[in-house]
Amino acid sequence: MKYVLQKLGLFVLTLWAAVTLNFFLPRMMPGSPADAAIAKLSQNGPVSDATRAAIEAQLGVPTGSLWDQYIAYLGQVVRLDFGVSYTFYPQSVSSMVSTALPYTIGLVGIVTILAFVIGTLIGVAAAWRRGTWLDTLPTLTGSFLSTFPYFWTALLLLFFFGYVLHWFPTTGAYSATTTPGFTWDFLGDLLSHAFLPALTILLTSLGGWIIGMRNAMINTLGEDYITFGEANGLHGRTIALRYAARNAILPNLTGFGLTLGGVVGGSILVEQVFGYPGIGYLLFNAVIGQDYPLMQALFLMITVSVLIANFLVDILYGVLDPRTRR
Amino acid sequence: MTSTMNVKIPADRIAAPSPWRAFGRMVGTLWSNGKARLGLCILGFFVLVAVFAPLLAPYDPKENTFERNADASWAHWLGTTAAGEDVLSQLIFGAQVSLLVGFAAGILSTIVAVLIGLSWGYMRGFAGEVIGFIVNLFLVIPGLPLMIVIAAYLQNGGILMIIAVIVVTGWAWGARVLRSQTQSLRGNDFVTSAQFSGDSRARIVFREILPNMTSIIAGTLFGAATAAILAEAGLEFLGLGDSSIVSWGTMLYWAQNSNSLLTGQWLLLFAPGLCIALLALSLTLINFGVDGISNPRLREGKGR
Amino acid sequence: MSAMEHNDILLDVQGLSIEYASPGQQPVQAVHDVSFTLRRGEFVGLVGESGSGKSTLGFALTRLQKPPARISGGRILFDGRDIRELDAEELRRQRQGGFAMVLQSGMNALNPVRTVGNHFRDIFAAHGHVPKEDREARARELVGKVGLKPEVLDRFPGELSGGMRQRASIALALSLEPQLMVFDEPTTALDVLVQHAVMDTIQELQRSEHFTAILISHDLGIVLEATDRVMVMHEGRIVEDAPSRDILHRPQDEYTRMLLSHYADPRAEKIEIPGFIDLGTRRREGRSRTDVTETLPTVSQRDARRADAAIVVEGVSKRYPAPRRGQEPVAAVDDVSFRLQPGEALALVGAWGSGKSTIAKMLTGVEKPTSGTIRFGDADVATLKRRGLRDLRKDVQMVFQDPYAALNPLHTVEYALTRPVVNYTRLRGAEARARVLELLETVGLTPVEQFAAKLPHQLSGGQRQRVVIARALASDPQVLIADEPVSMLDVSLRAGVLALLEDLRERWGISMLYITHDLLSARLVTENILVLNRGRVVERGETSQVLQHPEDPYTVELLDAVPNPSRIR
Repeated sequence: MKYVLQKLGLFVLTLWAAVTLNFFLPRMMPGSPADAAIAKLSQNGPVSDATRAAIEAQLGVPTGSLWDQYIAYLGQVVRLDFGVSYTFYPQSVSSMVSTALPYTIGLVGIVTILAFVIGTLIGVAAAWRRGTWLDTLPTLTGSFLSTFPYFWTALLLLFFFGYVLHWFPTTGAYSATTTPGFTWDFLGDLLSHAFLPALTILLTSLGGWIIGMRNAMINTLGEDYITFGEANGLHGRTIALRYAARNAILPNLTGFGLTLGGVVGGSILVEQVFGYPGIGYLLFNAVIGQDYPLMQALFLMITVSVLIANFLVDILYGVLDPRTRR
Repeated sequence: MTSTMNVKIPADRIAAPSPWRAFGRMVGTLWSNGKARLGLCILGFFVLVAVFAPLLAPYDPKENTFERNADASWAHWLGTTAAGEDVLSQLIFGAQVSLLVGFAAGILSTIVAVLIGLSWGYMRGFAGEVIGFIVNLFLVIPGLPLMIVIAAYLQNGGILMIIAVIVVTGWAWGARVLRSQTQSLRGNDFVTSAQFSGDSRARIVFREILPNMTSIIAGTLFGAATAAILAEAGLEFLGLGDSSIVSWGTMLYWAQNSNSLLTGQWLLLFAPGLCIALLALSLTLINFGVDGISNPRLREGKGR
Repeated sequence: MSAMEHNDILLDVQGLSIEYASPGQQPVQAVHDVSFTLRRGEFVGLVGESGSGKSTLGFALTRLQKPPARISGGRILFDGRDIRELDAEELRRQRQGGFAMVLQSGMNALNPVRTVGNHFRDIFAAHGHVPKEDREARARELVGKVGLKPEVLDRFPGELSGGMRQRASIALALSLEPQLMVFDEPTTALDVLVQHAVMDTIQELQRSEHFTAILISHDLGIVLEATDRVMVMHEGRIVEDAPSRDILHRPQDEYTRMLLSHYADPRAEKIEIPGFIDLGTRRREGRSRTDVTETLPTVSQRDARRADAAIVVEGVSKRYPAPRRGQEPVAAVDDVSFRLQPGEALALVGAWGSGKSTIAKMLTGVEKPTSGTIRFGDADVATLKRRGLRDLRKDVQMVFQDPYAALNPLHTVEYALTRPVVNYTRLRGAEARARVLELLETVGLTPVEQFAAKLPHQLSGGQRQRVVIARALASDPQVLIADEPVSMLDVSLRAGVLALLEDLRERWGISMLYITHDLLSARLVTENILVLNRGRVVERGETSQVLQHPEDPYTVELLDAVPNPSRIR
């Protein structure tokens, strides 16, 4: 219980730090993003006072002390009010983010868990049969695939399976001709659009999990309790799973949360290539259009999601490792 | 990206007489590891290409007077781009940028990681907790999104900006690994005896602890360089770097922008990405060998 | 051999050789052509110093050896079958009702994420030799036999102490109902009192369960006390194989005799080991160490006595905050007082957790006492800051326990010794170097030029410890605090290091605080003794008096825990 509270406290603290960082980021940059933003926005029409104030609170115009701006900003964040986007004026940032979020969470979330599970199993097998082809093949293939830049794998898959072979659609989350809804048709359409992006992320991130688990297993296999298990005549499979893998997965789990950040980054590139309308694609467009309010909010969303995932992993770790309960 | 550093570091030490001979021995051990040897060869190849680029490339990479979107031919081994530049020349000169950014950012990241990791590992008490929190913060915040946001604000900052951004977002990983190793070394009696011998704290950290960590630092360096190369390519692919320079990332940026997918110019898509992958792979392979040095259990050999 | 005799032999080892073959290196022979037989019910000891190959042999006997160790020749006949020829599954099954092994470090032999009870369930499930309905009861019975309460079954290994974990390992090995049990240094990593208790348990079990047992240890005393028969191993060969009584009274081999000569009973009136007669006896007879024997080299005499200040410890306590809420704060040291006079040798003895190491840390300023004062001469040690501590350490130096951890593996001997010379004296350059060589000469590492250039991994344990002592001497200290300086050395090497410490005291006038759990060495080199139990001083006085006529029950317990070869059954 103490463990959970500790992790919760850390989570809240880190969350606060991330929000604060987000606050200071535009203010640390040279030039005044706020002025640039307002100027850009006024190209579309007159800017209301509320919007102007919101932008200034977000991006920092020296009205009121820094502290006042900070408090105002915190208030906005808590209310999930991030102002108005100006590339997609007059849509509110929050509505845009909430439309895009499910696509990314679905894509990245499911694929990452899949990759972690598959990679871990392969890693266990690789370490157990060290030196044989079961070890060298996945390790080398995995490493090689993981060095492919996310966007390159994406481009290759898109080119071959989309353009050349026409097996999969080449852009978007669903075809323009289907109507959204909980129908099998739509679901199938959704999946076929998500397939290539998912495959890209899976292939590129798999290698990391394989190697991580393999190394952790190899270390664990050198421990005395493995030898003792063997001395007691336990089956090979029992030793590999209940004694070795069960312990080796712990350091791997702590790595999971951190590597997740890398996968999220990669997913941005993947979404851009496939035109998949998730958070990453939105961020990309926001950057191109210098849509600062949107950018800020997206960055915050991404960070918060990763933090939440980390927190959940920490809880899982606490469940798996009895040493945390002492 | 592959993480080969996710290992528990034992207190096993490796004896070596002097820093130079230690370096030589390390290279020797690396060479004896099959994977690392392959990595060293590939890396060597790219370094040579980058160094001798002006001699090797048939044309100036920015010369855009050729026929556009041409397929591979004897005049242009890999064809030409949509703007009429020779792909092969661009590829060769692109090596310079990737290697430069990769190693500059990698080395700088590692230096920051060493400074922070070592001092953090040596100190005890509350200060350690505070630094730990900051390091964790940088670790958890996803790198690429942060880089994208910063790069967006800094608008066309060029290579230096890219290097700076990569260093700022990437030092944390190495710092954590180095700190844990420092902590475990610090508990050793030889550190206490150095204190009893009257050595100052700085001297202890740099002359007693640091030399015992050379292989871990090398591993961090290669890992950081790999990450830097991939990050740089990513930023340029998104158009956030300096689009006027010739690098592998920008080649792919222009390729996508000029719809090479539709025109079927797969060579243009294939070549730069393959180069990035191979370069990153070479460093990862070398890291396999480095892991084997720092952790004897991971050395080549049969298992059970 | 008659049929009955043949059935009586459980283990028949013929010409066994084991080598270590690392890739790219010459193979190293660890075990040379070893042959012996074991009858059912025998309790045999396998004794050897570090590097003798005893553990390698032990692992090979149960086919647990790991690469790079490789059996290069010979046969191991267990109950008539050569176990080298068993395939993996047959070998696995053989472990039930066949041979079992208990590893050295009870710390790590248990899976940290499974409860003790689950460990038992795993074994029962793997072999099926106990019907399901009886498994719970059997597990309880087994932990009871090793002296543990049944509640232990629900605990995770991390919640148990080292001794309890080792007992659990023994119980788990017993659950296999083995005919042969191999104990590899089962008590080495444990506290001296726990060691004694666990060894008692092992002996009782062997008697009641009637399994054949091999006890591997570096400690001849423990082995002689516990076993019927002893095999002495030296450099991969068995040099003597005889009943324990014969080994004790009529050792044939030179090496065995050498090992035996280093054992003595701290309670005897006069103790003699090669190069040494105990201090108490010498004091009474008014002789110095070198007057008595010249077998070990000595340091040169110095005219001026070094130590002039005394260390005075008054009412010192060190409390640590409670590890968890609701518990008492831990008193590592509780109201301890003593004086270390200039030139005196004082022993601080106690088991693990007695507070002796904490006292050493407080005397050198590494930790601060929560109450009480520590004075060195005029200075109050607890109030010293960086500069003051540095000055203190010039005079009060420490000799560490682990010779393998006390030297930086990357630095030469010369570098390690130059640091304190440069930091504490005004000598530089060639003069500093001369001083370093002088120090090496003092501790007996000659030829000095050669040793100066060596790296730690090129030195033996005893040589490393001498370097550590040399480093402590570099600042020309008044006081040496020696924290278990010989515990990690092989028995045959201890005398040399002890002689060195003794001579430094006699001939250079350095005071010595000798911290140990080993009462024998305390008797050899100290005049006075302090016995600590959980941070409190329970007995003090002249060493030979206290050890011959102990008054406090804890002291008696400590004395009983010392393996005494002459007490064999």
